[in-house]
Amino acid sequence: MNDQNEILSRVADAIRRVIGEEWIHDETIDMGTSFANDLELESIEFVALAEELQNVFGEKVDFVSWLSTMELDAIIGLSVGDVVEFITSCHS
Amino acid sequence: MPLVVANDVEHHVQVLGQGPPVVMAHGLITGSLATWFYTTAPALAETHQVMLYDLRGHGRSGRTSTGYDTATLVNDLAALTQSIAEPMTLVGHSYGALIALKYALQYPAKVARLVLVETPLPPSQMNEFTQFLQQTPETMIDALPAGMQSLFRSQQGSRRTRRLLESLQFLITESSLVSDLMAETDLTNEELASIQCDVLAIHGTKSTLRSVGTRLANHIDHCSAVELPGGHYLPMEATQDLTDAIVGYCCG
Repeated sequence: MNDQNEILSRVADAIRRVIGEEWIHDETIDMGTSFANDLELESIEFVALAEELQNVFGEKVDFVSWLSTMELDAIIGLSVGDVVEFITSCHS
Repeated sequence: MPLVVANDVEHHVQVLGQGPPVVMAHGLITGSLATWFYTTAPALAETHQVMLYDLRGHGRSGRTSTGYDTATLVNDLAALTQSIAEPMTLVGHSYGALIALKYALQYPAKVARLVLVETPLPPSQMNEFTQFLQQTPETMIDALPAGMQSLFRSQQGSRRTRRLLESLQFLITESSLVSDLMAETDLTNEELASIQCDVLAIHGTKSTLRSVGTRLANHIDHCSAVELPGGHYLPMEATQDLTDAIVGYCCG
């Protein structure tokens, strides 16, 4: 398993914990999955996800600062792949 | 998720950054700590310790059927900020601004400065909001400014829309929120005049609450009023301008 796949699988687990509804366990979450259109994440759930990811990946991954560089529309428009790539860039 | 119990209600709290304390309160119904989390809070957290919380019944805080009057919400805020020792900056949007203002009246020694964004005075005559409340939960999303609709709506019957409707349904038809809001009395000019801390009052040029800025500036000793292009939902409508104004004021 390469780094990116492992990060993707940990991000997907975090998403499942945040959404906490049954259907999400069978939902495929890949790099192209959109938070707004596919997962239908509410803005407040994205806060919880940022926190979850911070816990999983540690201080090196500063989501709040990263999100603060984006307009709200852009945050809502993010894909899972955008988040995985951000985490990868923090570790490289 | 950090949950803090205040007045027997679990409150969802997020703390960002380090420095002098700032506490930010959001508005009713469509508000949550996300109002500030995605807008002004990160920039402010570069120089301050910023605490954000979901009001009871909102976001990820506990849903209670009562207690949406400002007296109770000020008590919630007091309980949540009990451990903050030095005087803090309180920032509020809409009903959150009213909570901040009433908190400052009750606990003047705890407040270093106030940033009041779109304060609804008198509370029961907040036209945009009361018009909004006259909608059915299903048509409420249509009544929001276009820029905000996209945050809530996608395809009909979708998860995000369903969850918003559930929340609206609860707050409007199953809780005392609307009657609490309508029973809220106006602040007197004498009460406003008793505020001694520095105050920044911010209103939208297109907001029906625009004149409140003048009233606050006329009656509060150290109050400056600023207008930004937009309506009631300035955190979403004028994000950068609002952030610049608040960060400039808090760092000035």
